[in-house]
Amino acid sequence: MSATPIRAGSEYDPSSWPEARENPGFAGDTGEFPGLDEDGVRGLSYVGERPADGGHASVAGTLPYQVATRDPEAPLFVGPYEERLEKVLGRYPDRQAALLPALHLAHELRGYLSPQTMDEVAEKLQLPPAYVRGVASFYTMYNLAPVGKYLIQVCTNISCNLCGGDAVLESFLKHTGTEPGEMSANGLWTVMEVECLGACGFPTAVQINERYFENVRPEDVPAILERLT
Amino acid sequence: MADETTAAVENVSVTIDGMELSVPAGTRLLDACAQAGVDVPHYCYHPGLSAPAQCRMCLVEVEKSPKLVPACVGTVAKDMVVHTESEAALKAREGVLEFYLVNHPLDCPVCDQSGECKLQDYVAAEGPAMGRSKEPKRVLGRDDFGGDVLFYADRCVMCTRCVRFMREVAQDERLTVVQRGHRAVIDTFFDEGLTGNLWADNIVDICPVGALVSKDFLHKARAWDLDRTPSICPNCTQGCNVRLETRDNQVMRIKPRPNPEVNAHWMCDFGRLNYQWINRVDRIEAPLVRDGSGRHVPMSWSEALMRLADALRGQTGGAAAVVSPFAANEDVGALRRVMEAVGGGGGVFRCEQGEEVTLPGFPELALRTDRAANVAGAELFGFSRAGGADGKGGLEGVAGHAGVLFVLGDELADAAADFGANASLFVYVGQHLSPAARNAHFVLPSTTFAEMEGTFTNVQRRVQRFWPALRAPGMSRPAWQILGVLLAGIGDAGAPGTAADAFAGLAAVRPEFGMLAWGDLGAQGAALPEAVGQAGD
Amino acid sequence: MAYPYRHDSEVRLLSEHFGNPRARTLEGWVELGGYRALRKALGMDRAEVVNVVKASGLRGRGGAGFPTGMKWSFMPKKEPGKPHFLVCNADESEPGTFKDRELMRWTPHALIEGCLIGAYAINAEHAYIYVRGEFFEAAQIMARAIEEAYAAGYIGKNILGSGIDLDITLHIGAGAYICGEETGLLNSLEGRRGEPRVKPPYPAIAGAFRYPTAVNNVESLIAAAQIVENGAEWYRQWGTEKSTGTKLFCVSGHVKRPGNYEVPLGFNFREFIYDVCGGTPGGKAIKAVIPGGSSVPILTADELDIGMDYESMAAAGTMLGCGSVIVMDEGTNVVKQVRRMVDFYAHESCGQCTPCREGTAWSAKILKRIELGRGTPDDLDTLLDISDKMTGKTICVLSDAAAAPIVSSIEKFRGDYLALMEAGDLALAGAR
Ligand SMILES: Cc1cc2nc3c(=O)[nH]c(=O)nc-3n(C[C@H](O)[C@H](O)[C@H](O)COP(=O)(O)O)c2cc1C
Ligand code: SF4
Ligand code: SF4
Ligand code: SF4
Ligand code: FES
Ligand code: FES
Repeated sequence: MSATPIRAGSEYDPSSWPEARENPGFAGDTGEFPGLDEDGVRGLSYVGERPADGGHASVAGTLPYQVATRDPEAPLFVGPYEERLEKVLGRYPDRQAALLPALHLAHELRGYLSPQTMDEVAEKLQLPPAYVRGVASFYTMYNLAPVGKYLIQVCTNISCNLCGGDAVLESFLKHTGTEPGEMSANGLWTVMEVECLGACGFPTAVQINERYFENVRPEDVPAILERLT
Repeated sequence: MADETTAAVENVSVTIDGMELSVPAGTRLLDACAQAGVDVPHYCYHPGLSAPAQCRMCLVEVEKSPKLVPACVGTVAKDMVVHTESEAALKAREGVLEFYLVNHPLDCPVCDQSGECKLQDYVAAEGPAMGRSKEPKRVLGRDDFGGDVLFYADRCVMCTRCVRFMREVAQDERLTVVQRGHRAVIDTFFDEGLTGNLWADNIVDICPVGALVSKDFLHKARAWDLDRTPSICPNCTQGCNVRLETRDNQVMRIKPRPNPEVNAHWMCDFGRLNYQWINRVDRIEAPLVRDGSGRHVPMSWSEALMRLADALRGQTGGAAAVVSPFAANEDVGALRRVMEAVGGGGGVFRCEQGEEVTLPGFPELALRTDRAANVAGAELFGFSRAGGADGKGGLEGVAGHAGVLFVLGDELADAAADFGANASLFVYVGQHLSPAARNAHFVLPSTTFAEMEGTFTNVQRRVQRFWPALRAPGMSRPAWQILGVLLAGIGDAGAPGTAADAFAGLAAVRPEFGMLAWGDLGAQGAALPEAVGQAGD
Repeated sequence: MAYPYRHDSEVRLLSEHFGNPRARTLEGWVELGGYRALRKALGMDRAEVVNVVKASGLRGRGGAGFPTGMKWSFMPKKEPGKPHFLVCNADESEPGTFKDRELMRWTPHALIEGCLIGAYAINAEHAYIYVRGEFFEAAQIMARAIEEAYAAGYIGKNILGSGIDLDITLHIGAGAYICGEETGLLNSLEGRRGEPRVKPPYPAIAGAFRYPTAVNNVESLIAAAQIVENGAEWYRQWGTEKSTGTKLFCVSGHVKRPGNYEVPLGFNFREFIYDVCGGTPGGKAIKAVIPGGSSVPILTADELDIGMDYESMAAAGTMLGCGSVIVMDEGTNVVKQVRRMVDFYAHESCGQCTPCREGTAWSAKILKRIELGRGTPDDLDTLLDISDKMTGKTICVLSDAAAAPIVSSIEKFRGDYLALMEAGDLALAGAR
């Protein structure tokens, strides 16, 4: 599959594109801004290490939605997580408004939202469990079943699709040996389609756990997978 | 009351489908249309719930408005011109109906809602002749929601009435929309279900289609085979306004009837599902009079009542009585008059009790402690409570009474075998011949509330009428008629020909009933005034 | 210095510092002239701030194009015990749109400043920035910047010694396009399902937590801050009479140089695509262009000689939307792309309204069938009729948005549909 041209079935010549300098890609990796490396684009050194307790209360709800290390049994809302939730609660006029942040917290810790987890969140926020289920299932970022250590979400929406998003998806499926949405046998991968990631100018956009890979071509997939493992 | 609310708002004139009418400014378009005689189709709107305007079924054309307006949230304004049947409105609504049919299973032949289904009705009225969808339908299947509720997901039109009822009225949010878009379904919190919520069956009523159905009623009868009679729930003192829905002379189910003063649109599951006793068959079918040898001999009414009148005439030593709190005002009132004619006396009633459960979203409604409809009526007519919370016992005072003893409606199931054995005259007016009732000299078959006309007085002192829904078995008659004829026989009162006559007779015992005219009761009852110069009860 | 490419025709007001990591830090931002607008605004009357923005003609950049100053002027008078809120819409999810993400990742302090000025103008004491959940990186940058600004006294109690208290809270979404719709966003902020609300009441009367609220797009707020600093006339020097100023355009699809470009409104569309964006790769002919995000009607290559402003786009039967230009070259299978967009809307419909919930899913199924070569010409009539019944009949305009590409593509590319039907098999389904 890695030999498949980026646009299957067309006589399109990829050489007219500016050379992507290195992939796994990141936005703006075009050579136009020579001073910019990945860190410069992502602002990694600027952001630094965020403290476990969430830092300032105004941003304590800024959570990595899906991380590689997780424990489905981990206790919710203890230690720094409790602090984070308390900070979040202080930012809204009512407890209900903390529901999305609280679900994010639980999701970050446990990797998905089981009925048990929803129940615990409901109890913590004094909301009806059915209500919490209704909200949790409305949003697509909350996994309702376990996923692989790396959740690979490939944008196949129009802009990426025009530039070969389908082929990238297929490449990920092939290299992980999975079907869409299914966890690989080794527990490492779950690959699925996702709607527009808001990175349409850097096709194909792929979100792996909390982070974006951009300008991804089918042939980049093995390198990306390798970089992760 | 109406004056208070409307006085402040100015009336405006609007034109609906060519008909001009004047309504208070801000009236909901749907209501204004109803006043103009137009029933605008609607699903998500229900008068007892918030209006999310999401089904888009009620779109109507309002002149000068760029878009069609949902009549359920749109309000009238001065000189508004509304077309409910304009081409654009009809087309939009036909569109909505066709959208429903894309995935609807159309299993009407096996659907309990068939015949009273809003999808059937609206499609027949203004739906497309043919759905155009060639795509496979989505199939979700059936789910047991617990309690009496069964969910057929494929029939659901996603109006969310059920979710809103549980959230806003029951305030026990056990239902939710799960997922979104075309994948959305109604569900509970996994296995939690609705079990234990006393009000859950109301969602079956308000579901406009056959998505939520009652397990109790499942495949029991077709809607078009049912006869519907306005009535009052007999199962507690709240007196929810209901319809008895009957077939083959049996109550098949009970449905609430709206009454903003009593039960809004709702009723409790306890009352709703507790109707088997009304269908009980082992009834006394003819007046029985004990003959010299102690055997009960069936007799014609005139013969039996003549003999009873003979037996009673000249009795002045007073009487004792046991009445049923399920008996109508007219029944207990007539008994009180008979008792007074023979010298007065005391009487008791026994009532089963349970925990009071209030409906949070309409706290005027509660399943009341007393689980019978006419406790207030029995008390008004001078009967006092006896026995325990299980509705048993408390007969000590009357069981051995030596004078005249009346029993009205109480089955005496728990009474001692020698109940009434000492009575000089024991008259049993009721439905079931229990061992204790067999001791009576006169056994007179009376009807249940479901077989007669009459009134109950509820916990708010509201007097409410009910109508006969079932044919009475054999020769049984309303107790007010039996006792009224008897009274005519022993005194100088005229026998009541109708329930209205019987009702009018109540004033003789309780003057406040005289302040209420039968005609004022209507289908929704009226509050019983406090008697002048009387502290009330 | 747009990003990731630049072009000399640009007028870079918002995007000047894209690609400059220094602009991210508070220190760097102040060096570059940041927070001057805030100081100026705090020295002005609230009404004056609103009036300047009104006079500038700035129109909301989130898609609807409603004048920002006007929106602010609808806020009721402040009553005691009744807080006002500013909510910044950073939910950017419209396919083809990626401007707010770049604004946040390169100039987080510009957005903070915009929020503070907006909050001040409408007398709010709390601003929420609703960032879509997928934008973890952008949210991290925003978070860091907000912490810095709190520490330096730009946010919080008595900001810059003005006696005014203003808070900002970053709120993270969880994956739902419909939370970009302002009332869906408010429901989501309140911890509910992100279902749009019936209007009226509008957010200015009953918004976040049922209090008066203004919802503004990221780009709108940043532009407003610049307007407050430099004046309405300064802003009006760019753009047209009714579409003033500059706008970030997100270009994606078949162009040589995709990315964000900031040009004055009214810029010639053809020139923009061929010159600024470098035309199509390999110089292929353009087949279709979506000028304003997936929700707007498609244009053909013949319809590009128009200005990139609200009025000209409307006159051409489409919309400027949020300025997301998606270019498709001649090899494109339009039917497949339309199907993909409609799939998106079916996936993202909140599901409240029947026409939207059922119409999007039904249309998507028909389109898929056509794409697979199993369509018939009467399917097109059905699609058009479905689209008609989805348009103008729902709580929000997602339903209309889903219908727009269907209707315009059938009108303009009927041949493509018919070709698939004639091919009758998968012959064309492999094409992109
Ligand atoms: C379906 C739908 C999605 C929308 N998505 C966004 C969005 O992602 N970002 C945004 O700023 N506005 C979006 N909007 C527009 C908002 O409703 C609202 O008009 C905007 O936030 C107002 O800000 P503005 O006046 O600054 O443009 C969307 C509207 C609809 C109907
Ligand atoms: S189950 Fe019935 S009441 Fe509930 S949403 Fe569906 S159709 Fe409406
Ligand atoms: S509350 Fe009482 S009257 Fe109403 S339905 Fe229940 S039992 Fe019947
Ligand atoms: S139009 Fe669609 S997305 Fe908008 S409120 Fe209705 S169902 Fe939801
Ligand atoms: S279309 Fe792929 S990121 Fe927008
Ligand atoms: S009844 Fe009006 S929209 Fe549903």
